[in-house]
Amino acid sequence: MLILSRKAGESIVIDGRIVVKIVRVEGDMIKLGIDAPADVPVHRQEVYEEIQKNNREALNQSRPKLPRLSANKPPPKSPAAAAPVAAAAPVKPKAGIPTTRK
Amino acid sequence: MKTLEIIEPEKRAVSGENVIQLPFGLLGFETVKNYVLLSNPGEEPFMWLQMLDGTHQSFLVVSPFLVSPEYQPDIATEDTGFLGLSSPADALVVNIVTLRGGGQATVNLKGPIVINRHTLIGKQVIPNNVAEFTLRHPLPVA
Repeated sequence: MLILSRKAGESIVIDGRIVVKIVRVEGDMIKLGIDAPADVPVHRQEVYEEIQKNNREALNQSRPKLPRLSANKPPPKSPAAAAPVAAAAPVKPKAGIPTTRK
Repeated sequence: MKTLEIIEPEKRAVSGENVIQLPFGLLGFETVKNYVLLSNPGEEPFMWLQMLDGTHQSFLVVSPFLVSPEYQPDIATEDTGFLGLSSPADALVVNIVTLRGGGQATVNLKGPIVINRHTLIGKQVIPNNVAEFTLRHPLPVA
């Protein structure tokens, strides 16, 4: 592993297109700013790994019998026959992408 | 019977019309980029996000707003930009369900799959407020 010393406000450049900047150092916490092209996913490692593990556990090789959700939840509104995509999936219009912030 | 259920969606998807493209794949499944989303009678509100890689493997998904009405993932501007989302109404959000045996099931609220309804391009995103959510939200099964 390459180990570099940097001060707050300094950066490193990776592959000419990814810039990692040390924004602030507060005690044992370091704030990093990352500038990367949209096709480079950037994740916190521990969150990334737990979602990855959960996805693997969730993969179904076949179609098992499904549990029924209990009645205190709103019933699904739509769809009749095996309708692919957009028509399916009742999604509350107000929820989903509420606000965006950095 | 099972064969019919599985083959049909693939036939439908051949036209390319209903293929959901996840350019980054799903976390842990980065190489599988094409899926189809299916709902079968009697299985609502669950849907299947089926891989179109010939393996017939699939993820069970559900609208998170049905199981957690207060769910408000804060999607990073990089992700809304990548997906071309300008309003919440453009987005179809589904979350992956894990069947736990004994009729129990949990849903992953940390990694929603956000799909642009118009382009059918999607991504499994990690919301800015991911710390508010659980990986194993129990589903209220009857």
